Amino acid sequence: MAKQYGLIAKFDSPADIMHAAEKVRDAGYKNWDVITPFPIHGMDAAMGLKRSLVGRFTIVGGTIGITTGMLMIWFTGGSELSLPFMEGYKLIVGGKPFFSPQFAFPVSYELTILFSAFASIGGMFILNRLPRHHHPFLKYKDVAKGTDDSFFLYIENVDPQFDEEKTRSFLDGLSSGEVRELED
Amino acid sequence: MSHDFSPNPQKWLTIGILGLAISLIGFLVDTQIAAWSYLIGLIFVTSIAIGMLFLVMIHHIFDAYWSVIVRRQAEHYLSALPYLGILFIPLFALTYLKDQGLIWLWMDQSASLHGHGTVASDILYQKKTWWLSESFFWFRAVFCFAVWIYFARTFRRNSFSQDSDGSLNHTYSSRNHAAAGLILVALTWTAAAFDWIMSLEYHWFSTMFGVWMFASAMRAALAVMILTCAFLVAKGPLKGIFNTKHLHDVSTLAFAFTVFWAYITFSQYFLIWNANIPEETFWFNDREQGIWWPISMILIFGYFLFPFLYMLQFPLKTNYQSMTFMAIWLLSMNLLDVFFNILPSLKDSHGEPFQMFSSPLNVLWYIGGVLGAGGILLWAYWSSYGNTKIIPIRDPRIEECLNHNH
Repeated sequence: MAKQYGLIAKFDSPADIMHAAEKVRDAGYKNWDVITPFPIHGMDAAMGLKRSLVGRFTIVGGTIGITTGMLMIWFTGGSELSLPFMEGYKLIVGGKPFFSPQFAFPVSYELTILFSAFASIGGMFILNRLPRHHHPFLKYKDVAKGTDDSFFLYIENVDPQFDEEKTRSFLDGLSSGEVRELED
Repeated sequence: MSHDFSPNPQKWLTIGILGLAISLIGFLVDTQIAAWSYLIGLIFVTSIAIGMLFLVMIHHIFDAYWSVIVRRQAEHYLSALPYLGILFIPLFALTYLKDQGLIWLWMDQSASLHGHGTVASDILYQKKTWWLSESFFWFRAVFCFAVWIYFARTFRRNSFSQDSDGSLNHTYSSRNHAAAGLILVALTWTAAAFDWIMSLEYHWFSTMFGVWMFASAMRAALAVMILTCAFLVAKGPLKGIFNTKHLHDVSTLAFAFTVFWAYITFSQYFLIWNANIPEETFWFNDREQGIWWPISMILIFGYFLFPFLYMLQFPLKTNYQSMTFMAIWLLSMNLLDVFFNILPSLKDSHGEPFQMFSSPLNVLWYIGGVLGAGGILLWAYWSSYGNTKIIPIRDPRIEECLNHNH
């Protein structure tokens, strides 16, 4: 028999799984998740999830972007710095100063957006531990139903509170269906 | 609905009349500065009302649900538009009957320009006479107000009638009117921006100016909306109805228009700076002299950067105290921005831009101008507020709006 990954319970409606999630949250479990065919509003709060930290990555990316834009324009048009493979070359464009923040702003602004987007996507991957090519649920026999009309909640056996008997009867009390084993 | 809070519109009417009285004294004592201050106050307050009109129309055109209770507050503000139209009459009287070049210099054909000839002999005026004629100017002002008042009345009537009969036709009517209104109000508001502010300095031209005025109106209206809702929640009437999720959404709009305003303002500046044509750059050169230089810096950092970084933060956007502070901040900065766009167009005898605090008495006229129109706006709001239900109880989307908490 394959190694156990955790216990999984099936629910029939968004309301059911939402209430179940609230109870699991209040019971203090940490390593658990729900699988639903579509996003359910309010699930974040029901699961006790905090606000996403992606925004922190975004602000760092944006700050790096605006700085890069400003430095790049200053280096190429307003400095005579020598860098490996690159030379700053002072150049008058349109009778404007060698460097002025106005001139550099459109570029910096675009780079702010670009770097923010990259940082957001990168941050999302890091926080979600992506890419992840496999999840034990994908082997579960009812996996197709989880994308159609059923709602699942599983608790991993690595959870500090996990106890084969107690957790099973706890999930039994929440779900009207059968509680099964999720194999790794 | 049981709550102890009862508004007192008369108080605001008194404040408004006090402000108008100050302006009236100003017209007699210090005619020009007082007239310009009056114009500033009037444009500032009209932009709040027009921003509210845009908010109502945007709500209808998107068939939005979260903003149903917010829309009712905007509808109350719309009732001020006819009075604001009436408040334009003194400006007409002053420029038509007393001194034609008092505010809009081009109205006085014989006014001498600093350094060369008169308005009538100015080629830059001659090319624009088809638009800048006095009768056409006042016709446009009347036409603009007629359009705004028509749409304001329609949205108010539809919304308030629905409270009693619950008919869906009111919603459809409003939606259709919003589609036409967004175009018409955008065009008339642009015309108003060109007429009332840009033509103060008729040599200057900027195609961005109408968009700037739209951004400005939206920011002012959203700041007033946040203050209104926060006040009504604190006092009780909207407590438990308007929740932090609604606050978050209004605040997010305020944040979005912060970025939009910065984008428009910078674009206008950048194109003129880049092209470097004296006919355009002089407008900004005037605004780099004396006190206008620090004010332009305050606008960049205080009206964009600080609100941007502040409202970037979720906890601050969902808290009544922090958003009340930000709304007051935005409104003050908006007023400063209106000053910045209008007042330097007033020139002294040497052709130098007028300095905001050249005389302590100026401040009195500024206060009079803003209080007069502002008092009338709030009087109109509270009068309308007292006559209707606090939320549109039979709006088809009211239930979704009240359950808006995710």
